[in-house]
Amino acid sequence: MSKDSTTPPEGYDVQREQMLNFKVPEQLLKVLDEDGRSDDKNFILTTVDEVFNWARLSSIWPVTFGLACCAIEMMATSATRYDIDRFGAGAFRATPRQADLMIVSGTVTAKMAKRLKLIYDQMPEPKWVIAMGSCAIGGGPYFKYGYHVVKGVDFIVPVDVYVPGCPPRPEVLLEGLMRLQDKIRGRKGKFITPKWITDYAKKIPYRK
Amino acid sequence: MDQKEIYELLAEKLGTAALGFNDEGVEAHADVAPKNIAEACLFLRDDERLAFDQLMCLSSIDWDGYDENGKGKSVKILGYTNEGQPETSDRVGEGDFGVAYSLYSHSKLHKFTIRVRVPRAKAAVPSVAQVWSTADWHEREAWDLMGITFEGHPSLRRILLEEHWEGHPLRKDYQMPDKWDNVPLSGQPYSNNPFPTPVVTPDPTPDQPAGDDPVEG
Repeated sequence: MSKDSTTPPEGYDVQREQMLNFKVPEQLLKVLDEDGRSDDKNFILTTVDEVFNWARLSSIWPVTFGLACCAIEMMATSATRYDIDRFGAGAFRATPRQADLMIVSGTVTAKMAKRLKLIYDQMPEPKWVIAMGSCAIGGGPYFKYGYHVVKGVDFIVPVDVYVPGCPPRPEVLLEGLMRLQDKIRGRKGKFITPKWITDYAKKIPYRK
Repeated sequence: MDQKEIYELLAEKLGTAALGFNDEGVEAHADVAPKNIAEACLFLRDDERLAFDQLMCLSSIDWDGYDENGKGKSVKILGYTNEGQPETSDRVGEGDFGVAYSLYSHSKLHKFTIRVRVPRAKAAVPSVAQVWSTADWHEREAWDLMGITFEGHPSLRRILLEEHWEGHPLRKDYQMPDKWDNVPLSGQPYSNNPFPTPVVTPDPTPDQPAGDDPVEG
């Protein structure tokens, strides 16, 4: 894409790349049968990061939290026709203490922003946020004359995936969920809040 | 009963407090002096020929930019700019406030609308919450968003906004807040977006052979 595409980008991990390109030695391959199967000598090679990430992205539990008409589409997404449970994200938890994901589905009013921030703070790490719909992304139709609407939920909490639409169809929300799974799949190391999120959270006026 | 006949009954009861009748607009309505509104509503409810047992809606009106004859000029409503900052202006609102009561009778199956007009400086109307109990929350909403005081209301508090909100947002001279309780309410221009959208060059797609799409039955 850019001219200096040969130089590794910032944050490029040589060790990890070598680990991913690891080839199984010949001695290990010999324990397999001729047809590639083995009865009592099964083994799996992976990294801790990858198996943890796989577990996390396969069971993203959202918090039961709907704000406006986007919540209707969110409910349709979790119902039988679209079935968000195919992606492991169907267990809507009634308490933020058990949830990993907050789908901000609808208009964030000034009154609700405090409650939303409280719910986000109660969720344990690691946690993710999907901004669903025009209102949650940037105020939507309330941008011009909405005296009570926060012009984008990223003024309140850091957002991982933006799902546009008014409201987005269930397919679009599923697409956003899959992009979030891609994001989790690429993470490595300890699950601490990244620095860019904490830096950004300090700039949010509500934090003061 | 005809709208005109309803007004004649009302004018007969109120005398000079009935200020006029107008059926030229979308909906016929009568104007009543503000201090007689509770008396008029009680008469409309209790008279056997009228029997208005339901208050369908209580609406508040801001006649900012209109004179007493209904002649209006365009008034700039303040909002947020395209950059997301609240617009400011020194203009102070002019013109009266109004309250419209839309009534319905379930036994007589007729409708009627009465209206009062109060000056902007002293926007106070007697409460009709004792006549129709549904007027309780309607008047609280009119106080919350338009700032019209209802005298004699049992508990005139804000109903939609939080209790320490400043101002009344549906007034035409209301200025949008920058923040409220440290919750930011102004937007930000797109150029200040801390997460700029990455420029993605799409991969060159191979040319699709024409007329080869499978048709689903």
